[in-house]
Amino acid sequence: MNFVLIFLITIFSLSLFFYGRSKTKSIAIEKNIKLNALPKFYGYYLILWCSIPSLVFLLIWSLFEPVIIKSIIIETAANQGAIFNDKNEANLIYEKIKAIHLGTYFGDIDSILRESALAYAKFINLFTNSKVVLIFAIVIVSVIYSLKKINKNNKARDDVEIILKGLLFVSSLIAILTTLGIIFSLLFESIKFFSVINIFDYLFGTNWSPQRAFVRDASSITAAEFEELKDAFGFIPLIAGTTFIAFIAMLVAVPIGLFSGIYMAEYASLKIRRISKPIIEILAGIPTVVYGFFAALTVGPFFRQIGENFGLTVSSESALAAGLIMGIMIIPYVSSLSDDVINSVPQSLRDGSYAIGATKSETIKKVVIPAALPGIIGSILLAVSRAIGETMIVVMAAGLAANLTINPLESTTTITTQIVMILVGDQEFDSPKTQSAFALGLTLFIATLILNYIAQRAVKKYREKYD
Amino acid sequence: MNNVKIKSKNLNVYYGEKQALFDVNLDLNEKEVTALIGPSGCGKSTFIRCINRMNDVIDICKVSGNIEIDGVEINDKNLDVVSLRERVGMVFQKPNPFPKSIYDNISYGPKIHGKGETKSELDEIVENSLKKAALWEEVKDRLDEPGTGLSGGQQQRLCIARAISVNPEVILMDEPCSALDPIATAKIEELIDELKKTYTIVIVTHSMAQAVRVSQKTGFFHLGKLIEVGKTEKIFKNPDNKMTQDYITGRFG
Repeated sequence: MNFVLIFLITIFSLSLFFYGRSKTKSIAIEKNIKLNALPKFYGYYLILWCSIPSLVFLLIWSLFEPVIIKSIIIETAANQGAIFNDKNEANLIYEKIKAIHLGTYFGDIDSILRESALAYAKFINLFTNSKVVLIFAIVIVSVIYSLKKINKNNKARDDVEIILKGLLFVSSLIAILTTLGIIFSLLFESIKFFSVINIFDYLFGTNWSPQRAFVRDASSITAAEFEELKDAFGFIPLIAGTTFIAFIAMLVAVPIGLFSGIYMAEYASLKIRRISKPIIEILAGIPTVVYGFFAALTVGPFFRQIGENFGLTVSSESALAAGLIMGIMIIPYVSSLSDDVINSVPQSLRDGSYAIGATKSETIKKVVIPAALPGIIGSILLAVSRAIGETMIVVMAAGLAANLTINPLESTTTITTQIVMILVGDQEFDSPKTQSAFALGLTLFIATLILNYIAQRAVKKYREKYD
Repeated sequence: MNNVKIKSKNLNVYYGEKQALFDVNLDLNEKEVTALIGPSGCGKSTFIRCINRMNDVIDICKVSGNIEIDGVEINDKNLDVVSLRERVGMVFQKPNPFPKSIYDNISYGPKIHGKGETKSELDEIVENSLKKAALWEEVKDRLDEPGTGLSGGQQQRLCIARAISVNPEVILMDEPCSALDPIATAKIEELIDELKKTYTIVIVTHSMAQAVRVSQKTGFFHLGKLIEVGKTEKIFKNPDNKMTQDYITGRFG
């Protein structure tokens, strides 16, 4: 129904565009006046007036209709004599009534349910009809209003500008509100978690074993259970593993990416550049899950084999394999960004250096790189936050056990891996185990935020120095 | 008349298919300022970029013919470009100080060429270069501040100091004042007058007045050809060539 309405509104407003355009033209000729805007703006004006009020109304209606119907139906059912003790049971009955209405309910239907289902059908009908009527009324009123305005030769161009500005504002508002919503949901769930687990036990604990807290209701936790849980959520091994793997990844990505960026920008001939740049950028397009199984199935076992040859015990899921592959994944980011940054260093600086007798490598080392440094640091920090937030590769290749180790040949785990592990499968939503995922998410979010802040400060400082 | 320092013989330059210079024969005298004038795109800049082989940087550029400095051919594949550029410094149209401190801007060249082993030697080179470029008094208290923070005229004098720092024999100037205001221009011209006691200077300029003020010898280029060359006085008062006459009186260009 809604789609039909939207479709009709769209068609109608589009046809109004042509009407408004030709109408104003003829008004101009008839009354021999100069229009206040180009005819097409009157067309846009009609489109906007016809579509926006009705669509906004439709949106708001659709948001509230189910809620209102639900409360009415539950009340009707209660009046009919239905018994429910809490919200969940009421919801269950409502779902049953809906299913009966749709004909997908196969249980026994008693008289209460039947009556309620009939009432439900009645209300649905009533609401849909009134929705259609109201929307038509709104369309008609707003079209009449806007046609009147047009006949008076209003400043349609300015009005269209104002409406468009409003639309753009609303779009950015939605983006901001969504972000805030995500942050607050993280925050509230984390607060629930920290009401059970002490925040210091979390931040400084060295043991991570959330499975101990499986299927336990946070609200009815006993003292003995709490003692047991207290040291199950230590964050240190996770942040250590995350930093460690990201560090290995950066060891791979920064030199290779930076050097290939320098080669591309300074040495490669146009022909080589034209071929190799897209190839490097293809690396960035490979799905991370593909890197993941490459790490888990090829690189991990390969390291294990080599380790055995040297008499070392190498876990087949090692920090080294995950970090290495993650590094390779990040190379294109570093290389392509630093290539761009180096290219944007003005040629006059290079000329100045050559003119005094510097060689190419001296020029790059002492003039080009320092001038491009803010951008290069920016690209590296971007790569770091990529590495910290990367999930798939570490889930597949780094292991699940939260070992606190600095041996790259052992398996280790990361924040993102643990979030995945916690939320995979059936969940009890109020167990501390599930809530810990939100705490981890919040910590990761704050860590990335701090990283970005530092990055921006660093870049700004260099910029002040060099501009 | 001073000795001839730089001598070009039948110099031809090509950018890809396009020929930019045609058989240029030009002698530049030692410890003198030679001005090169002519309309845009006539090859003046291309010519001076041949003297320190800056055209090597441009892939599609090909140079044929001879350029001798002190009788030694420099348009030679085996020539060490690094030591050539140590002898022939260059100042560009737009001031291009490195994004480094004033001190590092000057010490850059000496460090590259292994001059000034100790800190005190370097300090001395920096001080001398800045003094010669008439910038010392303005910046001596803030040598560690970025060179890019100076005013346009100061930046250009910094670039001249940078060129002087490796103690060259020749300084090439490619429209050094075109991005500067009249006061800064006057300072640079004063400086050029002073520098010609020590260095051979070649200056490309669009300002006829500037050529008259600073140079002893002037060459007029048009469409890649050297039309006329001679004493500045003669070129501007009594040129032999009709085209030169038209250009300096502002009838074209």
